[in-house]
Amino acid sequence: MENILSILVFFPAVAGLLGFIVDKESARTYGITVAAIEFLLSLWLWFSFDTSNAGMQFVEMIPLIPDMGISYYLGADGISLFIILMTTLMTLIGMASMGETKNIKNMIVTLLFLEMTMVGVFVALDAIIFYLFWELSLVPMLYIVGAWGGPLRVYAAIKFFLYTFMGSLIMLVGMLFVAYIYHNLTGVWSFAITDWYALVLPVNYQLWLFAAFFIGFAIKVPMFPFHTWIPYAHGQAPTIGSVILAAVLLKMGTYGFVRFSLPMFPDASVLAITPIAVLSLIMIIYTAMIAYAQKDMKQVIAYSSVSHMGIIMLGLFAMNAEGLSGSVFQMLSHGIVSGALFMLVGMIYDRRHTKLMSEFGGIASVMPKFAVIFGIMLMASVGLPLTIGFVGEFLVLLGFYQVSPMMTILAGTSIILGAVYMLRVMKRTFFGPLNNEENKKLKDLNGRETWSLIPLVAIVIWLGVYPKPVLEPIDNSVKALLSFMDEKAITQEAKDMISVAKSSKEAN
Amino acid sequence: MLEPINVSLESLNLITLAPMLIAIAGGLIILIIDLLNGKLHKSLYVMLTILVLFVDFGSVLGLNVNERGFFDVMLIDGISIVSQLMIIGGSMIFIPLALTSKRFHEYSYPEFFALFLFMIAGFQFMVATDNLILIFVGLETASLALYTLIALHNRANSYEAAVKYFTMGALAAGFFAMGSAVVYALTGSVELYKVAEVMATRLNETGLMIAVFGSSVLLLVAFAFKLSLFPFHTWVPDVYEGASAALAGYMSVVPKIAAFVVSIRLFGMYIDLGIEWVRWTILIIAVLTMTLSNIMALVQNDVKRMLAYSSISHAGFIIAALALDTTEGNTAIFLYYALFMFTNLGAFSMLWISRHKKRRFDSRYDHPYEKFAGLIQIMPMGAVIMGLFMFSLAGVPPFSVFWGKVYVMQAAVNAGYIWLAIIMGLNSAIAAYYYMKLVVYMFLKDPVKDVDVVYYNISKPLMAMVGFATVATVAAIFYVQPLVSYIYYMISASGY
Repeated sequence: MENILSILVFFPAVAGLLGFIVDKESARTYGITVAAIEFLLSLWLWFSFDTSNAGMQFVEMIPLIPDMGISYYLGADGISLFIILMTTLMTLIGMASMGETKNIKNMIVTLLFLEMTMVGVFVALDAIIFYLFWELSLVPMLYIVGAWGGPLRVYAAIKFFLYTFMGSLIMLVGMLFVAYIYHNLTGVWSFAITDWYALVLPVNYQLWLFAAFFIGFAIKVPMFPFHTWIPYAHGQAPTIGSVILAAVLLKMGTYGFVRFSLPMFPDASVLAITPIAVLSLIMIIYTAMIAYAQKDMKQVIAYSSVSHMGIIMLGLFAMNAEGLSGSVFQMLSHGIVSGALFMLVGMIYDRRHTKLMSEFGGIASVMPKFAVIFGIMLMASVGLPLTIGFVGEFLVLLGFYQVSPMMTILAGTSIILGAVYMLRVMKRTFFGPLNNEENKKLKDLNGRETWSLIPLVAIVIWLGVYPKPVLEPIDNSVKALLSFMDEKAITQEAKDMISVAKSSKEAN
Repeated sequence: MLEPINVSLESLNLITLAPMLIAIAGGLIILIIDLLNGKLHKSLYVMLTILVLFVDFGSVLGLNVNERGFFDVMLIDGISIVSQLMIIGGSMIFIPLALTSKRFHEYSYPEFFALFLFMIAGFQFMVATDNLILIFVGLETASLALYTLIALHNRANSYEAAVKYFTMGALAAGFFAMGSAVVYALTGSVELYKVAEVMATRLNETGLMIAVFGSSVLLLVAFAFKLSLFPFHTWVPDVYEGASAALAGYMSVVPKIAAFVVSIRLFGMYIDLGIEWVRWTILIIAVLTMTLSNIMALVQNDVKRMLAYSSISHAGFIIAALALDTTEGNTAIFLYYALFMFTNLGAFSMLWISRHKKRRFDSRYDHPYEKFAGLIQIMPMGAVIMGLFMFSLAGVPPFSVFWGKVYVMQAAVNAGYIWLAIIMGLNSAIAAYYYMKLVVYMFLKDPVKDVDVVYYNISKPLMAMVGFATVATVAAIFYVQPLVSYIYYMISASGY
């Protein structure tokens, strides 16, 4: 299957179109089946992936608009491979765990379209195709938040759409400018990212372009101070919307940094280390403090997820293999863990129709299974050793220690702060006296819910104990990226910063 | 004794006139048919009009590039061919909107269709010449026909719209005539290529520059009226509101293409001569137009007025490409309109088929946002299609207008105007808000109580047209390449 990437991208879309015809009762089964097939396809992608090859694989290239240099150009490397796997997995599990919703058919179709755009973003190697999927992903998300969300859903949906739309338009101007520079130097138009990698840009150009791309990606991540849309989006979105948003959509931003900013503008990236590190530290500490102040469980997880995105950003700009691999690994682990946490909160919301911690207390005794799984996910989120959360966080901190020990110590507080607010959630929800009458009748997880969470628990522990099968391909691609950046950097300062040699083996 | 003048028929090259003559003959045929039998159905006239336009289209396709004819007054260059094709093509897709299921006053008159064809001939004259007098004649032929078409819509505010448009148009015509007169006084010619030659030799005379200043200001004002540019755009929303939605959609595309061609010839000439302030004036007008009309569109309560303001904003977007004065810039103008045409056709037809005889939701407006609230529950297909058009207008890829926007912005970046591209980007973000507003009403709100069928005026031909527009909007990615290369080839062949 040479064109497996195209199949992966368009299979959910075709299935979504056909989904309009499927009747209401079987819509959920249809959706789960399609998502399962898509997941199997992505497993097949992993299976046929050559882990020793750090370059782009399964490349497909068809010129679309040659006069403007736009082509249908797809490919995957070790970094995109696992993000795709996570995307298909989280879509499948999110769909399977979804409780009864109104208009289930529309929801399934929308999710399938969303899956197409998400996979598309992670395999696109042409900037315009990337932009196309990037923008298109806003449409189903707008609908999910706006149609199935809470009371302020319309406001939240519009805010989400406009915020991210504006950022990406600036990014589009940046893309056009890169293409223009490429045209000036070579005489042909091209939006292929691999062609752009060959450009060696003067530092002042790099800085401007870095800024243009930064706005697009930073709003998506969401970096402080562009994060104000996310509490609304999470607060109002239905469970499945929050799961997809936290697990996948936010990763588009960090993935964008890996795919565009770092390799194309190595010198500007090195210059941006300090400002970005400062912003990331603010994200880590400030949002962790906000998370502590929340009364609503979902908002705690929403803010904690912003805080963890700060760790990912810090790792990306560590400019060494540990930091970058850790960061990419953290993208996966954050996707799985925060997705699972949002699902868990959704399950308790389905039962009690409230997410306020003050409404609960002592429910561990009535919902033991729920409490155990919640506890595991919470520990992973905090970064307890032997869970998936530890590996990435540890590597990132290890990597960034080489850049600035001081800042790393500050970032390390995320583990403490995370423990503080997460254990507070644990304590107030699960322990203490069970004195709310309504909670006494709560039912524990049913079969569907349990079985959709078990795989995630398995992954959390498996990759926490033995991350090698995932970490190694990531590490290969990351090293290739770093040595490429090292060759391409023009200033000595950048060359000194970018360290290629060390590997992350010792983390295992 | 005077020598008798001998003009051979070949030297006239009458073939260059054929397309306009076909349209005029078609109009006359319709009038004659009506004279013989006055009780024929509108569908006959619609189909006859399309057939005439079809022949017209074919005759334009057969023209050779860079020919002159009829005492060198006609000029058939790449721009004139491309724009004629677009004018005819646009008319062909808009005229079937007459085939509504409800009876409309104006379409029962065959004169409507005859006037429509005369108007097209007028536009064709405008674009197929570089003679200021013939441009004026074409402009007035087309405009006078258009005023009448608006007024035929037989409602009180249609008369108001027609009168308003007429007054504004007459003012613009006056400005154009004065500007042309100054140009003639300066250079002794009304042929633009001769004007350019004469001006090029005398650019350093201060007195002349003052006169050039006067003439270009007058001409700029005239075309700012026609292209609905700030601050001469105020007539647009009222006129669109008064005209039928079908005609409003038409007015937002086809007449502007014709006016753009003349602007390229005129202001492109000034910019080529190195008169930089013309470029800057146009750029400033462009930025103001797109920004201010966007802000106005934000606060509209009526979808049709919103679309009117948004089409002003699109015009501002495109006039910026003109100021670049590069082949890419000029290509961008036509590419943008070619792509915009389908989406705008779709959006206005959706309004057209949702028209009710009485105002149901609002005492003043025909299409308030509330009317479309919860449309996804009432008519899912209609809501999805309208949503697609809105996304396209907002510039969400891969829908058609996105490619136009990318090309315009690319042209701006190429010409070194990165700040312009950024302003365009920011404006698209503002525009997204009001397009999303309609999407939000359709998809995320609940319907207003006691609503009956929204798409009241629907008929099979209208559904076909909307379906066609939808396909053209969604599948743009597959035909942008041939379109770009054809337009680029034609524009560069005529040296613009």
